[in-house]
Amino acid sequence: MADDKDVLRDVWFGRIPTCFTLYPDEVTEREAEPFYLLLPRVSYLTLVTDKVKKHFLKVVKAEDVEEVWFEYEGTPLKWHYPIGVLFDLHASNTALPWSVTVHFKDFPERDLLHCPSSSVIEAHFMSSIKEADALKHKGQVIHDMQKKDHKQLWMGLQNDKFDQFWAMNRKLMEYPTEEGGFRYVPFRIYQTLSERPFIQRLFRPVSAEGQALTLGDLLKEVFPAAMCQDDEPKRYQVLVHGIEPLLETPIQWLSEHLSHPDNFLHISVVPAASD
Amino acid sequence: MSDEKLGNTNCCLDQKTFYLCCQLFLHHSSVLGDGWSWREVKGVEGYMKKTVLVPGRLGSLLSQHGQHKTEEYIDIVTEEDQVDNVDGGTCSVCESQAVVHYEYHVLYSCSYQAPVLYFRASSMDGRPLSLEEVWNNVHPNYRERLLQGPWDTLTQQEHPLLGQPFFMLHPCRTEEFIRPILQMAHSEKRRVNYILAWLSVVGPVVGLDIPLSYSTAVTAPD
Repeated sequence: MADDKDVLRDVWFGRIPTCFTLYPDEVTEREAEPFYLLLPRVSYLTLVTDKVKKHFLKVVKAEDVEEVWFEYEGTPLKWHYPIGVLFDLHASNTALPWSVTVHFKDFPERDLLHCPSSSVIEAHFMSSIKEADALKHKGQVIHDMQKKDHKQLWMGLQNDKFDQFWAMNRKLMEYPTEEGGFRYVPFRIYQTLSERPFIQRLFRPVSAEGQALTLGDLLKEVFPAAMCQDDEPKRYQVLVHGIEPLLETPIQWLSEHLSHPDNFLHISVVPAASD
Repeated sequence: MSDEKLGNTNCCLDQKTFYLCCQLFLHHSSVLGDGWSWREVKGVEGYMKKTVLVPGRLGSLLSQHGQHKTEEYIDIVTEEDQVDNVDGGTCSVCESQAVVHYEYHVLYSCSYQAPVLYFRASSMDGRPLSLEEVWNNVHPNYRERLLQGPWDTLTQQEHPLLGQPFFMLHPCRTEEFIRPILQMAHSEKRRVNYILAWLSVVGPVVGLDIPLSYSTAVTAPD
């Protein structure tokens, strides 16, 4: 039986093989070769694509360079979502490598947040962690940490250092034994065919009677359409880090082990693969 | 929000009370005709919205080739000044008087159990204003308060219901300024409409005016 700690490592080191191509309409001095890269599921596009930018900047004229942005099949990719979430949501049942298009012009102001520097990514990442802690511990644990501890969380992610990150993050995964779990579970459920970017609600991992609630219980409460009836063919897949956890999985366990480094459990609901 | 809770220093706002405070606020708004409306999501879940056109200042860099570029972090200066562009050449900066379209949304954050103010601004031709331009349109009297207030300045965030970029004042320290208001009211045996109290503090900082008549006309929910 796999140790729970192995799960943490598997989640951290998950990778998506990706092929980056330059948008054809962007004029280049020479032919732009595609660039291949293994992207960390748990990181953010603008944090891990310096090599990609460098590669394409060699063939793009300097005056044609504005803020870089990425797109998949016409959809601008939100850099502030974890990479794994973007993949699961948009391309989970397609052939690898994931084909992402790179743009240096015509930044879609109405769709994407700007990302002028890595400190913006850091601010966003830390903001998610704080919000997750507000839900789990009324913000007490993050409040009691020192600034250098916060920095360690960010540096761990930025430099792909599992041990450095988890040395601090384990404190954010603790809870009073008598409670049986966190106050509320930080989660977001994403769906492509919805105007609403995600569903986020207050959800306790333990019922009033002291029972551990499951992924199925969460979906029943906040997204019943994702659950299919017994006699119906499955309409949706419920993905976390590219896999379909059993609906019987306790949500507290999922929150502790399958959350992203931002401490949120990101769940993608996609149409079931048709044969 | 019951009075007993204030003894426990609970300044949390639940979703239902948020809804009730907004409805009372909106009632006076409809009397004034000042443009607030309720956008329902489901049941008591929803947000308040207001759009307004105000005169403002838009800056743009004119490069040597006469092309417009809006830079995020370059100071907007007067027409006479020259600034260096990133290529080491020079270009002029000009500011134009323009009409700015502001959109304000008051949402509820279940994570922080507090209201959150989102807003975006665009020029009349639909171009979204940059953070720099928004900053430049904050009244000088409020810039200090914006810099020093218990919010981590203005940041661009995804609107949680619309999925589009907005600017937001972070709600994690709302308690710092709302607590004294609630405690004072409690000691004077007055009830306070949380949304009105909160919006009176954060609104003016981002150019949102709350007329004085709200303070007497709007009541607190039971």
